[in-house]
Amino acid sequence: MSRVLVVDDEAGLRKVVRDALEQAGHEVETAGDGDEALALAAAGPAFDLIVTDLAMPRRDGLELVRAVRKSSSVPILVLTVRGEEREKVRLLDAGADDYMTKPFGVAELTARARALLRRAEPRGPQPSVHRFADVTVDLEARAVHKAGREVHLTPTEFGLLSAFLGKPGAVWTHGQLLAAVWGTTAGVSNDTLRVHVGSLRRKIEQDPNRPSFIRTEPWVGYRFTPDS
Amino acid sequence: MPRLMRWLLDRRSGYLAAVLVVGGTIGLLRLFLAEAADSTIALVLLLAVFICAWVWEKGPGVLAAVLATLGFNFFFLPPIYTFTIEDPRNVAALFVFLVSGLLIGHLSALARERQRLAEAERRDLVALTQLSQAFLSDTTRELLLGMAADRLGRALQASGVAILLARPDSELFEAAATPGVVVQKDLAELAWRQGNSAALPSNVEGIDIYLPIRIGVQRAGTLVATGMLASERMAEGCALLLGLSLERERFLALAREAEKTRASEEMKSTLLATLAHDLKTPVAAASAAVENWETSVGVSGASTLARQELSALARRISELMEVVRLDSGIAHPRRERVACGAIVEAAMARFGDVLADHSLFLDVPAPELTVEVDPAQLTEALGHGLENAARYSPSGSEIRVSVMSEGDSVRFRIEDRGHGIPAAERERVFERFVRLPQAQNVPGTGLGLPIAKSLVEANGGTLTLQASPSGGTVFEISLPRAR
Repeated sequence: MSRVLVVDDEAGLRKVVRDALEQAGHEVETAGDGDEALALAAAGPAFDLIVTDLAMPRRDGLELVRAVRKSSSVPILVLTVRGEEREKVRLLDAGADDYMTKPFGVAELTARARALLRRAEPRGPQPSVHRFADVTVDLEARAVHKAGREVHLTPTEFGLLSAFLGKPGAVWTHGQLLAAVWGTTAGVSNDTLRVHVGSLRRKIEQDPNRPSFIRTEPWVGYRFTPDS
Repeated sequence: MPRLMRWLLDRRSGYLAAVLVVGGTIGLLRLFLAEAADSTIALVLLLAVFICAWVWEKGPGVLAAVLATLGFNFFFLPPIYTFTIEDPRNVAALFVFLVSGLLIGHLSALARERQRLAEAERRDLVALTQLSQAFLSDTTRELLLGMAADRLGRALQASGVAILLARPDSELFEAAATPGVVVQKDLAELAWRQGNSAALPSNVEGIDIYLPIRIGVQRAGTLVATGMLASERMAEGCALLLGLSLERERFLALAREAEKTRASEEMKSTLLATLAHDLKTPVAAASAAVENWETSVGVSGASTLARQELSALARRISELMEVVRLDSGIAHPRRERVACGAIVEAAMARFGDVLADHSLFLDVPAPELTVEVDPAQLTEALGHGLENAARYSPSGSEIRVSVMSEGDSVRFRIEDRGHGIPAAERERVFERFVRLPQAQNVPGTGLGLPIAKSLVEANGGTLTLQASPSGGTVFEISLPRAR
């Protein structure tokens, strides 16, 4: 059983998120704002996951993320509203692990929470071979097969795919992907990234126009969802 | 006594003073040194010439030299009291005396004049510096003009100063003046309209001057100084300084105004964000509660209906908030150069779900095709187009999304195979809350297209609906291509 801290200034939302996570089998504590959340986190045993609202009086979600990240790597999921794209990038770059846009589905929320908790678990050596849908990726042999047929990836496409495979379900900002694959964000534009993602999609997606593995997070980045 | 001294030292009384000084010197010499050697007499007289030239400069200096020569001859060279000269050697001496007197007078006058000019320039500079400091310390036009006339009067040593400024209706009016100053309207007009400055002798002392107040290549009005003792150059400097200061006040006022607007827009924006949050949060809580309820007791017809209605409510709130944001004038596009492909991709990711029942054709452009827009706003506009296409065309039919460049413009097109919109109605659907009769049983608020149009126009583009060859509708956003 995981300990989850839910932070929101709206009592109603706090309650439904709490109910949803409890129904999913987690132990939930709640806080009304960022300050209370930090006090709770400092007092009791460590939390396994923090779900927080972005807009809150006093210490808001972004400040909470920054404060938590000073001492802990606990996964953080932030609830936002539409139209705050720049804010979302800032959140993710500050160390938040994921965000959801209100109104959100409860099933989606619990699924994201589960994915975050799973990614945070200590993991043994990673398997070299990954399988999703009809795609097989052998990281060691650098071989990719789709529906039994070998697919040739460029080194950049392969770099992108292995970065994605390292964090299934996670959202990547453009900057984070550029840093992971190119090693730098300097001199590479988001457009370059988009072109490479596009060609990778054409090689592994069923319908590149409606990608289901590598989804676009508009103006934020990409999310790799191999199990959808 | 001091008045007499001042009058005596004034350069205009120089000729009379030179006569008095040389005459006095000759008188004193006759009284006390009549028996002294000629050379002593000559040196004392030269001293008098030097003093005259130093104090009253050129003309009086020459007069003093000539008078001293004549006096020397008349009173001291034998035979005295005549202009005849006995000893021919004395003719040469007298000639040398005259030349020396003229030279000494000339040199001392020159030195004095230079010193006086340097002194005047220094004084002007100090006055200009003080004036500019004073002007800079005034933060509003009223403050500046309130003090400017007095300050200029002091700096220009003028008895009266008037500042005439042009009104927007191109009339000169007296913006500031020292008491009792008399302005000749025609000269002031001429200076302002033609840029011709005029200087004329004042009826008291000094000059009256009319100078255009220049701001860059334009003229803001006329600076008038009456009975001015300072130099014309100084006056020109003051007029320039006044123009710069007025311009500075104008910019300061603009900056203050912009700051006020910005602060009020920021407040509106914060208020609206709070309002959006306050409206959306309960809806989000309610739909989550319904889902929780479904998890514990199972999905029912009622729960499904509640969920659908709540999600429709959420969309309506979003659209209404968007309309309010657009109307309040705070939705300034944050334009940047974006690839058209990125916009299509973002729109598909955000709104692509509505096309789930249609067969989609995407014609994604070359990556180098870019536009300069607020990416989020254009995505939103395209989203409304996608939604419209999905709503008003039968499921399973084809929707084609394409981007093409044509000369200097880029067209984003969404083409459906629906029933189309009658030509007569194509403009009307951009009006708010207008829903066509044939759309009554399709959910919607009638706000999507007006919002899309506002967003596109805010980003410098146009949005049109056209009939497609297949009978459906083409939603087309046309934008200038970024270079």
